Amino acid sequence: MNAEAKRLPIVDVINLRKRYGLVQALKGISFSIGNGEIVGFLGPNGAGKSTTLRILSGIIAADSGEAKVCGVDLAEEEGEVRKHIGFLAENNPLPEDLRVIEYLNFRANLKGLAGSRKRERIRLALDACDLERRISERKIGNLSKGFRQRVGIADALLAEPRLVILDEPTIGLDPRQSAITRKMMERLRGDVSFILSSHILSEVEACCDRMIILSHGQIVAEGTMHDLQKMFINKTVFEIVSSNRRIDLHRAVRQIDQNCELLYDDPVEISKKSRYTFSTTEGEGKAEEILRALVQNELLSISEFQISRPDLETIFLRATKKNWENQDYLGRRKISRPKLLDSPSIHLK
Amino acid sequence: MSGYWHIFRHELFGLFISPATYVASFYFLALLGIGFNFFIEGFARTDWILPPISSLIVGLTFGAPALVPFLTMRSFAEERRLGTLETLMSAPVDPFALVLGKWSASLIFFILICMLAFCFPLLLWLGFPDQAISLGFNQVEHWVGGFIFLSAFGASFTAVGIFSSSLTKNQMVAGMLTFTLLTLYLAVMAFNFGEYRDFGSPEGLDEFIDICLGSLNQGLSKAQHFAVGIIDVSTVLHQIVLSLLFLTLATLKIERLKH
Repeated sequence: MNAEAKRLPIVDVINLRKRYGLVQALKGISFSIGNGEIVGFLGPNGAGKSTTLRILSGIIAADSGEAKVCGVDLAEEEGEVRKHIGFLAENNPLPEDLRVIEYLNFRANLKGLAGSRKRERIRLALDACDLERRISERKIGNLSKGFRQRVGIADALLAEPRLVILDEPTIGLDPRQSAITRKMMERLRGDVSFILSSHILSEVEACCDRMIILSHGQIVAEGTMHDLQKMFINKTVFEIVSSNRRIDLHRAVRQIDQNCELLYDDPVEISKKSRYTFSTTEGEGKAEEILRALVQNELLSISEFQISRPDLETIFLRATKKNWENQDYLGRRKISRPKLLDSPSIHLK
Repeated sequence: MSGYWHIFRHELFGLFISPATYVASFYFLALLGIGFNFFIEGFARTDWILPPISSLIVGLTFGAPALVPFLTMRSFAEERRLGTLETLMSAPVDPFALVLGKWSASLIFFILICMLAFCFPLLLWLGFPDQAISLGFNQVEHWVGGFIFLSAFGASFTAVGIFSSSLTKNQMVAGMLTFTLLTLYLAVMAFNFGEYRDFGSPEGLDEFIDICLGSLNQGLSKAQHFAVGIIDVSTVLHQIVLSLLFLTLATLKIERLKH
């Protein structure tokens, strides 16, 4: 996030709470989203993602807390806020008996577009979502899941929103259609802020500037991929492909870093060579130092060296694990037990 | 009232493209037409003191519980079931405008069906002008009075339907609820038919209740005035109040969905 984006948050949420009967869906979450940012909203089912997105789009009201979109308070001027938002609901409900163009026309009218501007915006939204004229004349009920999803996204983009909220936009889409959605976000990157809720972590990792991970109505982690890697994975893992024996390689590595551990005793064999996985607590700098030392060692033959960075799935699982163990099925805090984490160095918000 | 006009047009369009509406309207008009035919044929032998056109008004009023559910049950129940209400609420639309838009589309369709029903005496007049004149079909005030009565009661009937539809996700339940409420309402009016009280000198609780309810329980008695071309303004106002009450309740229900 650049400095300007920090100064001008498009979304500013402070201590947002929401309860459904006995279940406390949101327990006072706070976050902000900068202008033009693409933010991934992650969390297990029932974490409060959709509730947060529905509050931000003005569909439901929060019990307490403050939410501002484009500087306008949701509680005070909900109608004004809706003008700046494009929203794609989870499961993308659409009227089956309307044609695509009729539906977009209706939605454009509701969003206050008229005349040539309306026609122009509909055309641009159809283009942005790769919806050809032939498709726009068809009934929504006869469209495939992928096209329906694109109609929903086209609707979200209609009124030049400053914030687009996409709740599971690529659910049920084939890889090509998911790529079209990602491409659309890439095209609009910088002009429009996106909040993208998805369970497809690779997709979030690929297109989001920042991630917010929720669990049981709380934000358990927030930041860029790099921040999250630093926050949750305290060990640097690297792989070495070598034709040397395990014991020789391990000894050479230990000479540089006493704490470096070989993770698996049985290395993976690749064409008469072995792939060894080590981990160090000293960071990537130490791993690079080990590489230099190994390359200079004439007795060793190193053909590959790779520092493996943890993917978003690993981070997600770590981030949500503690919170998951601490809550009961209603999202209430359980009585704390002495040993909950497998890694004592995980920092939770 | 942001979005009212667009919601209204969209809903009206939805009613025009819905096969269920056409099927219901066809059977309703067909039964009404057959009934009207029998009534006109046997009119000379009946002791009906009102103009024959009033039979259409009564037929449309008592047939409304069967017709109105088909016009209103989809409005909110179907939107809630499909989840499209959520999408609708994400646009800058005022909830009251949403309710009003859906209600006015249903009302316009109801009035349209009433106008189609009025084509029966019109056709009779065109085909057999002498007989039509002898039956009093040339009295414009009868037509106007009947039309205003049906519009006023249609407004409250469709408002009840819209309110019922806002209560549930199941359009069948919404339809049954509308039918039940309208039947009850008509039963109350039927039981009070002819029990005219002087509202000018209220004595006791009964009179006070009558003054408060006005045409709400004396509607059919007031129909006699409209049938001869006397426009009872209080009846129209009562129906407007009743419509506003149910529309407000529907709006509150829609607002409540936010919490």
